[in-house]
Amino acid sequence: MTEIPKALQEFKPNEASERTELQRRRDRWFRALCLAVGCSSIAILFLLLVSIAYQGSSSLNATFLSASHDPENPERAGMYPSIVGSVILCTLCAIISLPIGVAAAVYLEEFQPKNRWLLRLHGLVQLNIANLAGVPSVVYGLLGLTLFVYMFQLFGKLEQNQVSGIDFWGIQRYYQFVTADDLAVIFVPMDESKESTLRIESPRPAFDTNFNPIDLQIWDPATPQPTDPDVLSRTVRKGDVGALVEIYRWYYFRLPFGPSLLAAALTLSLVILPIIVIASQEALRAVPSSMREASAGMGATRWQTTQQVTLPAALPGVLTGAILAMGRAIGEAAPIFVVLGGNIAKRTGPEHLMDSCVTMPILIFAWADNPVEQYRQLAAAAIIVLVALLLVMNSVAIYLRGRS
Amino acid sequence: MNRGLPIPSALEQKRYRPTGSARRSERVVVALLMACALGTIALSVLIVLMLLRESWSFFSSPNVSLTQFLFGTRWTALEVRDLEKVEFGIWPLLSGTLRVTGIAMLIAWPMGLITAIYLSEFASNRVRKILKPSLEILAGIPTVVFGYFAVLLISPGLQWFSPSFDTFNATSAGIAVGILCLPLVCSLAEDALSAVPTSLREAVYSLGGTRMNTALNVVLPSALSGVISAMLLAFSRALGETMVVALAAGTLATFTLDPRQQSQTMTGFIVEMLKSDLEYGTVQYYSLFGVALALFVITFVMTLLGQLIRRRYREVYQ
Amino acid sequence: MAFSGGCIRFSAQFRYFPIMGVLCFFTLVGCGGQPSAETKKGNGAADKAPVPALRGNIQVDGSSTVRPIGEAVAKRYAEVQSQVQVDVGGRGTGNGFKRLIAKEIDFSQASRPVTPNEAKLLKEAGVEFLEVPVAYDGLTIVVHSANDWVKELTVEQLKKIYAEDATAQNWSDIDPSWPNEPMKLFAPGTGSGTYDYFCEVIGGKLRTGISLNEDDNALVTGVSGNQYSIGFFGVAYFEENRSKLRAIPIVNPKTGVAVLPEREAIEKNDYSPFSRPLFVYVNRQSLDRAEVRSFLKYYIESAPELVQNVGYVKLPSDVWTKVNEIVANPQANLGSRFLNANGEKKEGSFLELFLGQSDAAKSEAPAGAATGQEGQ
Repeated sequence: MTEIPKALQEFKPNEASERTELQRRRDRWFRALCLAVGCSSIAILFLLLVSIAYQGSSSLNATFLSASHDPENPERAGMYPSIVGSVILCTLCAIISLPIGVAAAVYLEEFQPKNRWLLRLHGLVQLNIANLAGVPSVVYGLLGLTLFVYMFQLFGKLEQNQVSGIDFWGIQRYYQFVTADDLAVIFVPMDESKESTLRIESPRPAFDTNFNPIDLQIWDPATPQPTDPDVLSRTVRKGDVGALVEIYRWYYFRLPFGPSLLAAALTLSLVILPIIVIASQEALRAVPSSMREASAGMGATRWQTTQQVTLPAALPGVLTGAILAMGRAIGEAAPIFVVLGGNIAKRTGPEHLMDSCVTMPILIFAWADNPVEQYRQLAAAAIIVLVALLLVMNSVAIYLRGRS
Repeated sequence: MNRGLPIPSALEQKRYRPTGSARRSERVVVALLMACALGTIALSVLIVLMLLRESWSFFSSPNVSLTQFLFGTRWTALEVRDLEKVEFGIWPLLSGTLRVTGIAMLIAWPMGLITAIYLSEFASNRVRKILKPSLEILAGIPTVVFGYFAVLLISPGLQWFSPSFDTFNATSAGIAVGILCLPLVCSLAEDALSAVPTSLREAVYSLGGTRMNTALNVVLPSALSGVISAMLLAFSRALGETMVVALAAGTLATFTLDPRQQSQTMTGFIVEMLKSDLEYGTVQYYSLFGVALALFVITFVMTLLGQLIRRRYREVYQ
Repeated sequence: MAFSGGCIRFSAQFRYFPIMGVLCFFTLVGCGGQPSAETKKGNGAADKAPVPALRGNIQVDGSSTVRPIGEAVAKRYAEVQSQVQVDVGGRGTGNGFKRLIAKEIDFSQASRPVTPNEAKLLKEAGVEFLEVPVAYDGLTIVVHSANDWVKELTVEQLKKIYAEDATAQNWSDIDPSWPNEPMKLFAPGTGSGTYDYFCEVIGGKLRTGISLNEDDNALVTGVSGNQYSIGFFGVAYFEENRSKLRAIPIVNPKTGVAVLPEREAIEKNDYSPFSRPLFVYVNRQSLDRAEVRSFLKYYIESAPELVQNVGYVKLPSDVWTKVNEIVANPQANLGSRFLNANGEKKEGSFLELFLGQSDAAKSEAPAGAATGQEGQ
């Protein structure tokens, strides 16, 4: 049995009961104070939301949700790219940090070593994770900038007009030519020379706009121009110069990452990793040890127990933590600002891993800075959308928690 | 809590085959898990290395001295481009950070703690079921939102109250950061208070104590280490808060105690420097890594302290 | 879970949130999905002459002042060439040139001409460039709207307020009839072209103790928040905040007349010395690419009308004639017109240097009558 806590030992009942009436009155006052403070804390926070909803609700319409930023006309401006950007970024983040975070949590909770030194290490990891959760997110941003964006310049710099960086997959390079009738473009695949431009003198394998192979015709401007529009659409002038154009697949991968979606996602993953680890640990801790013991009693190894008993039982808790961490990621502005810069003029969501990306907090930050009053209203409207999205995510979290 | 949990299918179906190969593959799996856990240490190491490497470009400059950095009271990295004349003394930024954080804590600590006491000791079940989740929903609001709250509502309010307030001032940023930290303090403190066994409360009542006696004289002291660690965590969160101060605290690094003045904080300076048109590669640019290093060290110490206190408290009640 | 502030806990009883959330989500999807498809269709069926569907990726960076122009052009260009992606950054004029030197970008937008040092570095890096002015910006000196004592300011007085060696603390130090209250000074950040331009006009660096902010809107908020403040920034930001701020007429040193930063005055160059041209610098090598050529052409075609929508003033028509000439024949017009053959800075006003006219010739020739004969 536990000892009587010190606080209880020092409590003097005599003093308390002597002036009962005074004590009761004080008690009532204290309760009123607590109620007042408690309600006002929540009232302040709701006041904030209501004032923003009031400001932004008039701008919230279909155009706003489907258009992109328009520097000329706030009425045509929208946040579609940022919604897509935030959702994709957040999903990538979860894909990257969830397995690592859960694995670390499983190791910390289920595989506590017996060796004294390993146990020390274990404690160190635990402490370290708590500390990581306290590191300001802007510092993670700086880490992302040097580690992911520039990669310490180990892999060279990214340059326009020439082949740069180290590519792995998902990219094709062509020379782009405008046809003789100025109506279409033709792509000639780049060869081994990797020159930045190509002067076309003789027929080469080529593709049309939709990347179907075509039979390329070369027209010497000294001779009469072909008249057949069909032929003309695959004809280029002799001596024309085509320049490098890069066509990316969504999985395009290169080093260094540059200010790209992937760099931002990796940086944000670092921000939310400690949160996921801590949440998963709590979920695993909540699984009763009797279940582990039962499993072990039937001859399961520790990993089998974890894999088939503990993890499934803790899954709702783990997912809840993961969703809440993603909520943090979607609202985080500082690290994204450091890694991607404040580019908001993108017309679409990110199209490949190395594409630039606009996110909702960055858009809000930029709009609220705009001198035009209407853009500031748009910022409020964007806040409504962001908070609504967070509510959706949190609702899923509640649902999952309800099932656990 | 887990009473309703179905028995996992694995337990029902008994499909375990703990053969030698399972044990061998288990070793691989454990190694992988361990790698992930150790990866987090690697992450810390990377952060420290990055900060040291980049700030070396700053500290190794002949125009920067460590003593000036640690004890100087003028910070002009954003104002002066002439390297001979720039002064890098971190105190204006540090004092700005401390002013904002101090004001924030003046709000977040008492309000958070009292709200927590209310929730754990006084509130009826029904009230708690509404208040707690709402407070926690509000904890998820992005910080950018609080920044605009500070600029658009708090700051004009303060100026109406007293015209001596600057448009951008430590107070409005501090209030916003305080509101931001409030749910954090409240939630963590409430956890600590509810962890105190009910038997203790019952004991106080049996001795004739009132609810206030219970809350202030017994429950709070018993949960003190948890409450303090909650406060420290909120403190380090406020130190590292970036977007609110970037928007509301102003951009003038002032070394003063006056909360009505502009006060650039360390995080505010980092963002301002990144936003600035100042060219990369200058000593002024690298000074941001020096500031980031200082910020990292301070928050690291605060969280470490919070964790150590928290650990002590865990030993008491488990 | 008891850790981060972002972690939220809910009790299972709090059931109506999921429903609300799901409703919100469907509203989002419902609104977001379909109209975007419609707009796409609308863009595709543009009533313009058919153009080849180019592809590519164009990188634009530089001055945050010029950035809205680049963004607006990119936005409109997307309706013509939907497959060309244009990224417009605003890392600052200096960093824009730095990135142009590093060949990271195709277009560097600048709120000042290239400096001799930058031109030297560009040359060393083997980057040839094209210099294209795109708009005028009036640098506006503003005070709080309740400030009724400052009627006009001369450059000399501005020096007393802002220059590095200035000692004035109170308004009365500038003019004894003004109130004996401390001045609150605001200015754009040191790296910005606006800061540079102001320094150039007052002939030196700025003093310390000024609130510098990269964010012009923060300057607006700052100046409008205190009766005794003064600041300066681009005319666009002033026009959007006329209710809170008052622009000060600046005495033109040549004519002695105080002029307000109005569009016409800026276009005619009467608002001197605080009206300045904004530029785009193009990497010559990038012009090998069809999409870059097409974008530059589009930029020049749309700029005169478009710059007015984002708060700047269009260039006089003789300058515009020259710009068209430069873009039509880039190879013959490489380099900066503000630097001489040795890479040193030329003396003279923007119009004199850019049009290559002497002062006398300019005053004789009526605006707009200039043809493309001067120059090389």
